[in-house]
Amino acid sequence: MNDGIVVIVLAAAVAYGTPLLFAALGELLAERSGVLNLGVEGMMLVGAVMGFLCVQHVGGSAGVALPVAVLVAAVAGAGASLILAFLVITLRANQIVSGLALTIFAGAAGLSSYVGNDFNLADNPARFSFRDLDVLGLDGVPIVGPILLGQSWLVYGSWVCVVAVGLYLSRTRPGLNVRAVGENPAAADAMGIGVARYRYLHTLAGGALAGVGGACFSLALTPQWVDGLTAGAGWIAIALVIFAFWRADLCLVGAYVFGAFSALPLILQARGVTITPQLFQALPYVMTIVVLVLVSTGTARRRLGAPAALGTPYVREER
Amino acid sequence: METERAYQATAAVPSGTAAVVMRGITKRFPGIVANDDVTFEVARGEVHALLGENGAGKTTLMNVLTGLYHPDEGEIEIGGQLIELHSPRDAIDAGIGMVHQHFRLVETLTVAENISLSLRDRPFVLSRRDAVREVQRIAEALHMPVDPEARIWQLSVGEQQRVEIMKAVRSGSQVLILDEPTAVLTPQEAQSLFETLRVMAAEGHSVIVITHKLHEVMAVSHRVTVLRGGRKIATVRTAEATVESLAAMMVGRDIELEQRQDRSSPVGEEVLRADGLTAAGDRGFDALRDVSLVVHAGEVLGVAGVAGNGQRELAEAITGLRPLAAGVVTVDGRKLGGGDPREAIAAGVAHVPEDRLHTGVAPSLSIASNVVLKSYRRGGVTRGPFLLLRRIRDRAVELIRRYDVRATSPEVPARVLSGGNLQKVVLGREFSGRPKVLVVAAPTRGLDVGAIETVHDYLREAAADGVAVLLISEDLDEVQALADRIVVMYEGAIVGERDARTATTDELGLLMAGVR
Amino acid sequence: MTRPAVRIERRLVQHRWLAVVVPLASLAVAFAAIGLVLAITGHAPWATFRRLFDAAFLADGALSNTLVSATPLAFTGLAAAVAFRMRLFNIGAEGQLYLGAIGASGIALLFAGQSSVVIVPAMIVVGAAAGAAWAAIPGVLRAFAHTNEIITSLMLNYCAALLLNYLIFDSQSYWRDDSATGQLFPQGKMLADAASWPVWTIGSIAIPFGFVVGLTVAAVVWVLYARTRFGFEAQVIADSPRAARYAGMRTRRKILAVLCLSGAVAGVGGASQMGDFRHILDARGLQQANYGYTGIVVAALARFNPFATLLVAFLLGGLENAGYTLQGADFPSGLVGVMQGLILFAMLGGELLVRYRIVIERPGRIAAAAEASA
Repeated sequence: MNDGIVVIVLAAAVAYGTPLLFAALGELLAERSGVLNLGVEGMMLVGAVMGFLCVQHVGGSAGVALPVAVLVAAVAGAGASLILAFLVITLRANQIVSGLALTIFAGAAGLSSYVGNDFNLADNPARFSFRDLDVLGLDGVPIVGPILLGQSWLVYGSWVCVVAVGLYLSRTRPGLNVRAVGENPAAADAMGIGVARYRYLHTLAGGALAGVGGACFSLALTPQWVDGLTAGAGWIAIALVIFAFWRADLCLVGAYVFGAFSALPLILQARGVTITPQLFQALPYVMTIVVLVLVSTGTARRRLGAPAALGTPYVREER
Repeated sequence: METERAYQATAAVPSGTAAVVMRGITKRFPGIVANDDVTFEVARGEVHALLGENGAGKTTLMNVLTGLYHPDEGEIEIGGQLIELHSPRDAIDAGIGMVHQHFRLVETLTVAENISLSLRDRPFVLSRRDAVREVQRIAEALHMPVDPEARIWQLSVGEQQRVEIMKAVRSGSQVLILDEPTAVLTPQEAQSLFETLRVMAAEGHSVIVITHKLHEVMAVSHRVTVLRGGRKIATVRTAEATVESLAAMMVGRDIELEQRQDRSSPVGEEVLRADGLTAAGDRGFDALRDVSLVVHAGEVLGVAGVAGNGQRELAEAITGLRPLAAGVVTVDGRKLGGGDPREAIAAGVAHVPEDRLHTGVAPSLSIASNVVLKSYRRGGVTRGPFLLLRRIRDRAVELIRRYDVRATSPEVPARVLSGGNLQKVVLGREFSGRPKVLVVAAPTRGLDVGAIETVHDYLREAAADGVAVLLISEDLDEVQALADRIVVMYEGAIVGERDARTATTDELGLLMAGVR
Repeated sequence: MTRPAVRIERRLVQHRWLAVVVPLASLAVAFAAIGLVLAITGHAPWATFRRLFDAAFLADGALSNTLVSATPLAFTGLAAAVAFRMRLFNIGAEGQLYLGAIGASGIALLFAGQSSVVIVPAMIVVGAAAGAAWAAIPGVLRAFAHTNEIITSLMLNYCAALLLNYLIFDSQSYWRDDSATGQLFPQGKMLADAASWPVWTIGSIAIPFGFVVGLTVAAVVWVLYARTRFGFEAQVIADSPRAARYAGMRTRRKILAVLCLSGAVAGVGGASQMGDFRHILDARGLQQANYGYTGIVVAALARFNPFATLLVAFLLGGLENAGYTLQGADFPSGLVGVMQGLILFAMLGGELLVRYRIVIERPGRIAAAAEASA
């Protein structure tokens, strides 16, 4: 039964969806504070390359190198997002153009490629990588086994993040504050909430999570370094946040749905089934458009929709 | 006017340490000095009115006190201690709370959540139950009922204001500042607000009321400070002042409060007819319910009512900015399909909108561009698809001259104009189209007395020229002074019609509050 | 008593010279940063700059190659400028270019027997139409369903890429080379010779027809926005959609029209790729080139002015060209992206200084001012 196509697809969906999930959670935090981060793709690549670099050069066993690599990936992602944050929050630059600039700077023809080539990272596969675990030896359990209990630490880590982000936004004071900042920064400012500080922190957190998402590629999925490894996952993560109505729990669902659609064509092909792969691959994008249209109509917007101040810089003394 | 005088504060001005002293405050913005060496102080337990026309610098001064703006010169003392306010946080910590004209509420959050946001004691984990109980406690103490779980966008404007006040109180403000608080209230609601303010003052709070309404000052304050053109003119005890003396200080000359003028020309044929207009508002429920009215050529029909009772939607429905769910608008016999501004414009309906800066003009474009905002389609300024820029400039220069607009050139962006000058541009543009109907909404909101006079003159002139004028305004004085007939709107419907010559303020006020 | 506060304040007076000095200063800062990155990673900054400049503009054939790189950027840059000026953030130039390429190559294959005089204009028209049609999707959604065009146009880029892949790799489409080798190594059909766009040679520089078309488009766009009713309405809508509606302007139609225009320009860029340079529907090559996204950078640097867009496209084209030419063991790949990014960062950041100024406050200042006025 565990060899059945459904189970295999679902298990792969979880694995493929994990980098998307990390990046989406990060984007969610940034957007909730009002910053539209279009540089996610670049941040993921920077995280991927730095994590890979770390794992190739840090001494010690897998148990040491891998966590350190993930940490380095997070820091690298945060560092990249610091540039965006500075541009957009302090210098009041246009968020869209700045995000694109960051992706070009850090992305497949930019910094990540620069580092990758300078250190000849493409030459060898990762020394260590995240393997699928066999939790409690229950890998053989029907259905649940491979899907839920046979995943890597990164996957389980992502679940913890989902819960953490969700609780943070709905149950904590800083979470309430950031929601206010994203909806009405003038109101938040008047109540003494530091708009710039919240935006910075959440953008950095977003960058860190994006970096970890990138590391999922170079340390688990492919475990190798290739230029442009993430192949657009960052852009999908942006779409994911909308698809998830800006909620952490739905990000999980969405990430796995998208993951399934990415994994499905390959699995089908391996089975000798020939359905045009592009149809499946296009589905997530089309679905995102549909969701976006639904979310954008009138009253739905208020109940389900984007933080109202998303994308606009905040200047206190504007007259 | 009689009722206001009866409520005039009779209590002596409290003495003791000043709660707030602002000394020598100067604040500049591009092209204007908003506050010029202003010194202002408020005592504990006092209700102090800050009076002035719009543009006098009242809001700016208070924004300095609340840490939103940083003064270019001057110092602030709170409770006897010199203090520097770098941000709203500092002001809140120092005990200053403000209820703004435009509420600082987060629409998608609940009442309880909004109030939680302003708290200074901060547990990391939120407890919804505690927040709700907190809200109920404050609401009871201030006699202001409100549903803690309601989302802000579901509340009426008056209810939102209550939430704002509760926020300020809850965050421990010793000094409460209210910016034009009665702009959105009925006369009766305003009285109840004044009661609340007196209670708060009696308990030792200091209350500053920013206003341009003279009878409010007389009704609620112990002292009043008058600002004009960015400078402080005087601080007087309210008991020793009269409406006329205050007005003189506000304007700088003796003025007579506006009197009705008798009609100079006879009223003509019916030009504008609205039958059974029903339209949905922005919040989902009907904002207009079966509204019918008629305006004749040369007549001014005043639509009175507290803002938020459907007036804006009425103006939008007639001018095509809002689609009609039911009903018909007829202009000079021609039925309009509704929902199409271009159709209304073509039928001869001119519109001076409520929000002159964001709807009436394109703020970053030049005055010249704005002058041809509607007429660029017709001949005279275009040749085929191309614009004749020279001719457009000439038109603008002509308008600036004729309406005495204070602007350095027709190329400056519209948004640098003062409220009065901007309104002149809009009015001038609308008149120049030779309209049959002129719909004006809140035409003198935010204007100084001089500009108000000018606008009123233009409106009377329009009526004398045979234009059917629909005047929608929340300023009852204005409506009574200009209109021939008055209808009152309440909750989207017309609840009464009166002849302007015989209607009394009390009568109209009751209608405005929904009492028949 | 407190530490100095740093604030950012709106300038009271906006000096004219700022608009010139700030971009130049930003450029200088950018190059300094690039030099720093190079130095840290062990490459000699000046030498690298000189090699880049040489490869971009001075070497034999450099200018011609630069024009090859610049032409697609001119189109996608203009496409972005057209839309962004009206605050419509069309990120979909990438996909619209693909569709233009598909359309143009399709019509060229269809008209294979015809002469250039027929094929070339046909390619331009069909390319523009295909790009416009693809842009109409986010256009309609934005105009009539208030759906944010950033995400929709972005998603459609992926769909367009998938379409390209489908046509060339996973189907027996009209575009696919159906010869024996074509079955083994999927690729597009070669276009007829008549479908090659003309090239004009001035001295040693080869100017592709596409670049000339781009010049024309820039001029048309400029006139459109600065001197026509269309442009006036676009200005008003960009500044205040409410005022536009109030004035009776057909806002929704205008939004759709501008997005379609933007898509059409990108589509012609795709046609140019077919006619000027590639002569084959090169799915992989087009996707790797990222013309659409770079075009946005071009337009942003040019502040969305059509003629400046051409200039910036030329300069960035030079940079891209140099990047290809110098690729090798001792030249850092990825440098092109880094440079573009840093220049853009510097420009974006510099823009702030035009409208705002930085005020550093010393604690003693206020007290001193108070004394002075007392």
